[in-house]
Amino acid sequence: MTGPDEPAALHATDLGFRYRARGTWALRECGFTVPRGRITALVGRNGAGKSTLLHLAGGLLRPAHGEIRVLGTAPDGAAARTRVALLTQDKPLYPRFTVADTLRMGGKLNAAWDRAVAERVVREGGIAPSVRVGELSPGRRTRVALALALGKRPELLLLDEPLADLDPVVRGEIMATLMAEAAEREVSIVLSSHVLPDLEQTCDWVTLLRAGRVELNEDADALREGHLLLTGHADEEPALREHTVVHRRVHGRQLTALVRPRGPVGGAFHVERPGLEEILLGHLQGAAGGAKGAAA
Amino acid sequence: MKGTLWLAWRQQRALAGCAAAVLLAAVALAAYFRAGMLDDLHSGVFDHCDPGPLYCSRPQDGLPQFLDVEPLKLLGALNMALPALVGMFWGAPLLGRDRELGTHRMVLSQGVGRAQWFASRFALAALGTVVLSGSLALLFRWWWEPAVNRSYGVFWYEATALTGSGPSLVAAALFGLSVGTLAGLLTRRVLSAAALTLLVTGAVAVLVQWTHRARLLVPPQRYVSAGWRPKEPMGDKWSTGHYGLITGSGRRDSVLECPYPSGRELRECMTGNGYVSRYYEANPAGDYWAFQWADTALLGGLALVLVLVTVLLLRRRV
Repeated sequence: MTGPDEPAALHATDLGFRYRARGTWALRECGFTVPRGRITALVGRNGAGKSTLLHLAGGLLRPAHGEIRVLGTAPDGAAARTRVALLTQDKPLYPRFTVADTLRMGGKLNAAWDRAVAERVVREGGIAPSVRVGELSPGRRTRVALALALGKRPELLLLDEPLADLDPVVRGEIMATLMAEAAEREVSIVLSSHVLPDLEQTCDWVTLLRAGRVELNEDADALREGHLLLTGHADEEPALREHTVVHRRVHGRQLTALVRPRGPVGGAFHVERPGLEEILLGHLQGAAGGAKGAAA
Repeated sequence: MKGTLWLAWRQQRALAGCAAAVLLAAVALAAYFRAGMLDDLHSGVFDHCDPGPLYCSRPQDGLPQFLDVEPLKLLGALNMALPALVGMFWGAPLLGRDRELGTHRMVLSQGVGRAQWFASRFALAALGTVVLSGSLALLFRWWWEPAVNRSYGVFWYEATALTGSGPSLVAAALFGLSVGTLAGLLTRRVLSAAALTLLVTGAVAVLVQWTHRARLLVPPQRYVSAGWRPKEPMGDKWSTGHYGLITGSGRRDSVLECPYPSGRELRECMTGNGYVSRYYEANPAGDYWAFQWADTALLGGLALVLVLVTVLLLRRRV
């Protein structure tokens, strides 16, 4: 399915974007490829450029520099519009439309529309079609917005913080719906989220942004295998020099370090395989703590 | 296009309903008051009035006679306010509501391009505006017809008639719509867009009235009468208020050089100062259409420019 000739889900070359009002670059020199058929976690701290990247991929913004292609086409072209669905963070819907009207709108605005899927997603949430969207709870509104996105039967689904503001139960339900629909039709999903534990279970590709640049863009399993979590006496620190230290923390005499080993690890360390959450957290903390020192 | 038109109709049907209700009420009131006006005219009280004099007086006591044209002028006033109303209530939310709610992002990620999103909703709003303003202009004309340029009626140059009727009203309403649309795109807030629209349409309305008063776009004609012969009556012409005297060499002087309406004094003054004729400046009644087309071109052109700016900004702003 992901043969070499098949266009990637996302492909950015030297992508840059700046908001006129702010003047600083929200994204800069981003070059990366997300293969098709993956469920990608787009991770980064606030202001790292996640939403900007998704808006660029969804054709809502145009790059100031470089280009981004989705499924091999330009994001604001007619071809991309029918094949890509974007759910923005604020999940905008017309508050005075009923749920039924909102789904009818989806049918009218899209050339291809799977009414059954959209109605199923809404029904699974126990939402009455006659209710006005403005009267729904945030979780139900998210579900309606998701129904609108899934009803398009997209090949690529871009979700910007779909789980923010939702309680853990609703988060689980929405994730389950999403994964069920994705599995049924091999949709590529790019999903930005702060909720790292949720990503651990579902994502098999990771793109990590830091301050507008791409820091990681890898297969999730490769990431897990490529990192080690070392715990030992602080005196053992020199043994880390041969490896790339992503994040280190000294607590009293105890040193904990997340490293990308470049060869066998020496020194007296307790070695663990870190989970995806620990790896991502380490990378996110890395620069902020200014603790890259040991690797240099 | 069908899908976005459906959405545009779904969003604008309440407005269209309001516009239809206003129109129906105006038609009902117009029919009622026009029937009353016709009854007054048919009663014979006004039969002796000729179109000439400015005031028609009652034969028995000489008091001026008027037809009840206040409701008609009220409709004219509503028509004059129409561009601001259309701009604030139809234009400002057209893009402004979606911008305020962020829902344009949802619509644009649903298989719809910017151009289509804008074109269908603007087309529907423009159609509604043309129907509404055109009907109100025609309604005014129909009601006004029995009293056009009558001493007891409404003259063509009164603002309620000149601005409140004819094709220029349609152009003015479209101008108001395009001001509101652009304001909604720029401010991203319906309320601020409406306020800005009121400001701009109000300023332009004042400007248009000034061009009428100053006869900027439709220059007046000069009516010259030789010697001290009685001048051609003003009748239904729109006087500029410029009266004067002309010497043998063609120089024009103020009427105040010989401030006499007629008679021996006038003759003596004119011969004594070498004046050979008198003149006044006014626009004839036929200039109603010249004013109409000038305003239509001005406001229609402005509307076109604003729509063009909106389309150009659409890619940068949305």
